[in-house]
Amino acid sequence: MAQAQRGGSPGARRGRSLLARMEERTALFLLIPSFVILILIAFYPFGSVIWSSFTNARFASGEPTRYVGLDNYRRLLSVTIRELPVQRDASGAVVTKDGVKQYESWVRVLPRQPYRYRAVFEFGLLGKRFVVGAVSSAFVRAIWDTVVFTVIAVLFETILGLVIALTLSSNFPGRGGMRAAMLVPWAVITAVSARIWEWMLQPTRAGLFNTVLSYLGIGDGSINFFGQADLQLPSMIVMDVWKTTPFMALLLLAGLSVIPGELYEAAEVDGASRIRRFFTITLPLLSPTLAVALIFRTLDSLRVFDIFQIVLANQRFSMASYAQYLLIGQRELGMSSAASVVIFVLIFVFAVLYIRTLGVEKE
Amino acid sequence: MSRRRSSLIGRILFWVLVVGILVYLMFPFYWAFISALKTQSELIRTPATLWPDSPTFVNFRSVFSNDRFLRALLNSTIVATSVTALSLVVGSFAGYALGKMRFRGKTPSLYVILAMTMFPQIAVLAGLYAVIRVLGLPPMPSMILSYMIFTLPFTVWVLTSFFRGLPVSLLQAAQVDGATMMQSFRLVLLPLTAPALVTTGLLAFIQAWNEYLFALTFTVINEKARTVPVAIALFTGQVSFQEPFGEIMAAAVVVTIPLVALVLIFQQRIVAGLTAGAVKG
Repeated sequence: MAQAQRGGSPGARRGRSLLARMEERTALFLLIPSFVILILIAFYPFGSVIWSSFTNARFASGEPTRYVGLDNYRRLLSVTIRELPVQRDASGAVVTKDGVKQYESWVRVLPRQPYRYRAVFEFGLLGKRFVVGAVSSAFVRAIWDTVVFTVIAVLFETILGLVIALTLSSNFPGRGGMRAAMLVPWAVITAVSARIWEWMLQPTRAGLFNTVLSYLGIGDGSINFFGQADLQLPSMIVMDVWKTTPFMALLLLAGLSVIPGELYEAAEVDGASRIRRFFTITLPLLSPTLAVALIFRTLDSLRVFDIFQIVLANQRFSMASYAQYLLIGQRELGMSSAASVVIFVLIFVFAVLYIRTLGVEKE
Repeated sequence: MSRRRSSLIGRILFWVLVVGILVYLMFPFYWAFISALKTQSELIRTPATLWPDSPTFVNFRSVFSNDRFLRALLNSTIVATSVTALSLVVGSFAGYALGKMRFRGKTPSLYVILAMTMFPQIAVLAGLYAVIRVLGLPPMPSMILSYMIFTLPFTVWVLTSFFRGLPVSLLQAAQVDGATMMQSFRLVLLPLTAPALVTTGLLAFIQAWNEYLFALTFTVINEKARTVPVAIALFTGQVSFQEPFGEIMAAAVVVTIPLVALVLIFQQRIVAGLTAGAVKG
């Protein structure tokens, strides 16, 4: 459209110039409020976040703020991998416990200068044992957790969303009611759904899940979904999938509705099976919608905050909940800003990569 | 024969799937609702029961006499309504300019707006918090202003494409009749955009009603300004020894019902607004 406008002959353009100038002035006038607001609440604060990420700014501190260069980033992102030595007793023999080799604690191998490193996690490889250490083990862990959370949650949301969308795309009595029901989890306040799930996942049989699971013979009725480290992320994923699958399903349903029905009829006449029709018609034609939905959901999950902050509080963080904790809990304005910039860059890179690979921009 | 049987099995499986989906979507609400009807002693009794023994409204009654919760309801209503109104007014100006007018810098402006719709809130949190502290801005105006970061770009974007879709002939007719740009906006275009305004307004309202990150951060000191999500996240009973889940569930039901009603009434519009842009028809 912009091209077409520039295509006008110079004479015609000059002839309209008074009107055009008036139009231009009106347009700018109409845009001013939006841009003033965006400058005030987005561009200026973002600029100041970038600036303070290079300083040691703190709230309620007597210390003067000074420029510290990349110090905050170094503290947030320094990661190291060290091998853990086998634990030996006084005689030099390897210590074993129940037949398992014991290793030294990470405290002895991780560096303490210039910053003290803490363990993020340990892993075994080729018969050796390693520890991953970081200065901000909580932040590095938060990045890792958020990425794992995003990948698994979005995967489940896509599959479930597709199942729901395909179900609802066929004609059956009560279809309208189902579509309305789908909007309900989407509209519910995230804080409310977090509390409802928190209640269903109580660590006693007063909670729904422990009751049902104990009837099924799984667990002893006191599974601590939020306290046990290996159940924390799955619990968060279950909560997020419930809340956001309907959104995914709605988008996919809209995408399905624009696929022409004749294609299916033709395929059916040709004797293509249902599964074949899905893979040769539905999936390829749905892929642009699927791509957009994936981008929306992934970008959204990478900045997850509510459910982590409400349910896990300071036990375990997502990237965003850690940045907020640094700001409010620790009053570390500088560090929190640096964490925010890291999150921003991660999301930005992710968005660009995603859009490139899926080719949405071609539309 | 076998074909008919397999289609019967298919039909049964289909309905199992439909019912399964419905249960999955609605069960948490059912659970919240029946938990709100239970007495404190039944709530902590194990195993949990699927239906309250002696349903009681005591949790609802205490929620409605909880000043902090009522205050939060009022705060949320004020904040979400103001954000919606402000975004629609400011957004429709910008949408009109971007959708119907010619001027230099239009394409970059559109790109900026589109990029802003994906902007992560956490990236400005520290900066906004510092600005608010320096200015000494009270929490409610801070929330109203800062929520525009997610409602405004979206509103502008949707309204721009809506204005663009309106026929130019209408505008030209108005201009021939001697209307100025602003008159044709107010008298011709605005009435036509009413449906789009309703849709974007609803989505903005729901987003503002749900917002938690800014609300939590800006009301750390000022408890009186807390909105519903913060109040529910930090809910404590009148006399609290442990987390009063009966009351929390009652509060959850109370804040969910109006939202669900709103969504059900306007479901067509909301679906249209949510899927706009995601599908190239």
